[in-house]
Amino acid sequence: MNLMAQILINVVIAFLAGSLLLGFHRKVMARVQLRPGPPIIQYLLHSLKFFFKETSFPKTAAMPFYVGITVILAAVWVTAVIVGPVAQGSLMIIFGVYAIHKIVEHNAGSSSGSPYGKISCVRAVFSAAGELPLFAVIAIIFLLTGTMDISGIIAYQAVHGPLVLQLPLAALMFFTLIVTKSPYSPFAITKGKEIITGFETEHFGMLRGYIMFSESIAWYILLWIFLTVFFGPISVVGYLIGMIVICIITGFINATTPMLNPNHSVMAQISIAVICTVGSIIMIII
Amino acid sequence: MEELYIMIYILVFIIGSIAGLLLSYKKHMEPYIISEIDVLTLVLSIIGWFLLFNHGLNPNISPEILLTIAFFFIGLALGRRPGYGRKETAIGILIAAVVWISTSGVLF
Repeated sequence: MNLMAQILINVVIAFLAGSLLLGFHRKVMARVQLRPGPPIIQYLLHSLKFFFKETSFPKTAAMPFYVGITVILAAVWVTAVIVGPVAQGSLMIIFGVYAIHKIVEHNAGSSSGSPYGKISCVRAVFSAAGELPLFAVIAIIFLLTGTMDISGIIAYQAVHGPLVLQLPLAALMFFTLIVTKSPYSPFAITKGKEIITGFETEHFGMLRGYIMFSESIAWYILLWIFLTVFFGPISVVGYLIGMIVICIITGFINATTPMLNPNHSVMAQISIAVICTVGSIIMIII
Repeated sequence: MEELYIMIYILVFIIGSIAGLLLSYKKHMEPYIISEIDVLTLVLSIIGWFLLFNHGLNPNISPEILLTIAFFFIGLALGRRPGYGRKETAIGILIAAVVWISTSGVLF
């Protein structure tokens, strides 16, 4: 198939599947809290709705950065789709994508001029600690497999079995990252309820549409990478079941856990990263 | 080509869900209070889940076509207003699973 067509199809799949999974995640949280919850397609309908709503700009916004940052966010996650499902390239680029995502969170918050955005902007710097587990996971996987390419890791698992059995603590670290990125997460300090929706608060209409589009793709890509890197070559049905199971688990965690304050959130993530990194290295040596 | 079919299945499921939601709002203006099983939704659910689990039973029709129809019907039943369509979906899955188990030779 033509490369451009392949990219386009994978981006559409990532957006639609990511939206449905986020809708399902919200449904799980609602059921845990004994509420009926919205339909599963609600997140997708919201995303599409924002593309047709009027876009207004705050007087305090730093133009054109305020507009450009949302486009950069979308471009960053489209890049992740190309590096991940399309090209099965290097995990280091995925790490770079996640790092830029943090920078975009920071700048989206500061460019609006809103106090909520600014607090979220500062917290985005704090929450960069969430990248530590990701970097540690990549390093540990490289130590064991000798490659950072997703295709190479899949080939390794085809011979030696799923990495989740060999590096369970690294898988736990990556899962922590997924929990961090999930909506209403105890670690989601950049979008804490006390700061409305954090860096997104002052982005309206189409700009919010771009952000929601990016969040859908980000959720799909994180789940895809986790399943691909730790569960080996799996079928489409395997991906579907795996993604649904992860949404159920994170939904339960987020529905029953209060949001941590920024210091606790960062320290919890760093503690998990340190314990799991040391444990994984010991397991590789033994 | 597999990715193209996956995209079509997701799109069809979403279209089915939106249609199911609109139909459901037309039929039930009230929140979820009616606990009787809706026959139409039940039939759609059984057809959808049956085709999803057992699309291999009819070799004369392309599985891609059967799966596309299956996802549309599943979306129609599953996409109802919150509360509606749950029991119908559960019955649909149960019947489809029983047929699949009895015809696929998993148990024997």
